[in-house]
Amino acid sequence: MKYFVRVAGREILVEVDGERVTVGGRSYSAHLSRLPATPLRHLLADGRSLTLAVEAGAPGEWALSVRGTRVEAEVIDERTRHIRSLTAARAGSGPVQLKAPMPGLVVRVLVTEGQAVAAGQGLLVLEAMKMENELRASGPATVARVGVQPGQAVEKGQVLVEFGGAPLT
Amino acid sequence: MAPFQRVLVANRGEIALRVIRACHEEGLEAVAVYSDADRTSPHVRAADYAVALGAPAPGESYLRIDKLVAAAQATGAGAIHPGYGFLAERAAFAQAVVEAGLVFIGPPASAITAMGDKTEARRRMAEAKVPIVPGLTVPVTDPAVAARAAEEIGYPVLVKAAAGGGGKGMRVVREAKDLAGALETAASEARKAFGDPSVYLEKYIERPRHVEIQVLADHERTVHLGERECSVQRRHQKLVEEAPSVAVTPALRSAMGRAAVAAAEAVGYRSAGTCEFLLAADGAFYFLEMNTRIQVEHPVTELVYGVDLVREQLRIAQGRPMSLPQGPLTPRGWSLECRITSEDPANGCLPSTGRIEFLRAPSGPGVRWDGGFTAGNEVTLFYDSLLGKAIVWAPTRAEAIARMKVALGEMVLVGVATNQAFHLRLLDDPAFVAGQIDSQFLDRRTDLLEPPGDEGVLLDLAVAAALAEDEARTRRRPAVAANGVAAGSSAWLLAARREGLR
Repeated sequence: MKYFVRVAGREILVEVDGERVTVGGRSYSAHLSRLPATPLRHLLADGRSLTLAVEAGAPGEWALSVRGTRVEAEVIDERTRHIRSLTAARAGSGPVQLKAPMPGLVVRVLVTEGQAVAAGQGLLVLEAMKMENELRASGPATVARVGVQPGQAVEKGQVLVEFGGAPLT
Repeated sequence: MAPFQRVLVANRGEIALRVIRACHEEGLEAVAVYSDADRTSPHVRAADYAVALGAPAPGESYLRIDKLVAAAQATGAGAIHPGYGFLAERAAFAQAVVEAGLVFIGPPASAITAMGDKTEARRRMAEAKVPIVPGLTVPVTDPAVAARAAEEIGYPVLVKAAAGGGGKGMRVVREAKDLAGALETAASEARKAFGDPSVYLEKYIERPRHVEIQVLADHERTVHLGERECSVQRRHQKLVEEAPSVAVTPALRSAMGRAAVAAAEAVGYRSAGTCEFLLAADGAFYFLEMNTRIQVEHPVTELVYGVDLVREQLRIAQGRPMSLPQGPLTPRGWSLECRITSEDPANGCLPSTGRIEFLRAPSGPGVRWDGGFTAGNEVTLFYDSLLGKAIVWAPTRAEAIARMKVALGEMVLVGVATNQAFHLRLLDDPAFVAGQIDSQFLDRRTDLLEPPGDEGVLLDLAVAAALAEDEARTRRRPAVAANGVAAGSSAWLLAARREGLR
């Protein structure tokens, strides 16, 4: 079975055939064991021993962490990937949103509607746990709408800023 | 007969558990307090008695002096230990405890007050001959007056807004010719930012190290227990502390130690306290402030001096002398502490919340874990982000770093994001390993806060994800039993389908 693993902005092809995998042009034995009563699994890959935490999300979505580094992975098969490539033209053109990563209080809004922002530019400051946290743009974009104002309390996942216009690269 | 047999611990998290352990070792009983958010926290379970305080917000629970004093009286506790944070440095709390006829495990309220007012503390320290950052104590506007003062202080100088904060209205001046211009821009910035154009002059300390001295005072003597270096900090939040410091020689240690003891004696200090200093590259040191409480990073001192500071606090509060030998004390080996917080550097250091699903705390020879959470506990936004402290001891600094890498490599915490990976990167960084750190280290080295891109690990993670997905799909697909009937499916349902096909 061929799986396409989307992780850390990359797509990695992993072919699974029983206890053999082929990845990056190399083929070797790999086995993932559950560790009972824990969210951990143990990977033996090409003789390497690695303990990781594996959390299941929606079907095909996985969060894996090792030594405190956590990545989210999406695993799809060839058929799903093909269907997605056909519909890709439609996807991705909708509004891109900045959502509150945690509940908190909006302290300052640093951008206005219609403003062009660069990657890494501060968008707004959210206070939580007595700390001020600046939320920054992940890529160049134009601010289409600011959904909150200073002094407003927001819930986790609430839309703070919507972007449009220039594509996010 | 000791003045108290039972101690109320007015705190939560790792420090509450730490104090409860010390009480038990001293043969004392411990009373925990908790907010609604902490009902099943380890400190509540470790205590002999526990009292509910109220709603999770600190203002409704851990900051309520009235409720804490009432809880102590209701449970027959004769003393209150404040831990750190919350009410630990509020003179009013220490005062209220004493007025209620209880023992406050810490300094007298008068010492907290004296050190709490920063200007007053500076004046008293200057009187006690404790070095402070040289500078003017009154605002300056006349460029000629400023120029004379700057010559006296010595360049570089810092022009600082009186109303100050956040770097606004602040200018570093390296030469006399730039002073007048800097005064003008700083005053104008200060007027815009704070509505007050007053500026001060102060000596600018380049790339200072943050070095602090632990002091301990009983009713007869005040001693120092050497230094801790806490230069690795982000936005004034310390992340890594060590004892001793690579920058401190035995001669400097005794000079700083003498200054710290003088500072403590000047305010009539008792119990454990810490004097924070800026240490300049030339070995000059300047008093910043005194923290009148046990500190988060106290364990590194405990490990190199072989002392239990919280037990000493309990002894002193009982009116007994400290157990330390007379004469100068010498640190042995090296100790390192990494603060594990629920702040995720890979996500802009935003606090992460959620339920801790699994925790494997660091362990092994020379490894200590001071934690306040176990699996099943919720990490909320109500309190500090500190989850626990990994502390190691080894004969040398290099061995302590190696040991910490092993300890943090083995640590597993699932459920909330932490700064574990940041610490592992830092411990591998050549500048950190060489001890080339100062309090602006992390401001320059933001790369250490970035998520890593290790190709080999990424491929292994991809393989693990593919294998996990493959296994999940195999289980989702109904297994077919030998008789041809899908396992887990009802025979009635199959019969009905067959009917439908007919």
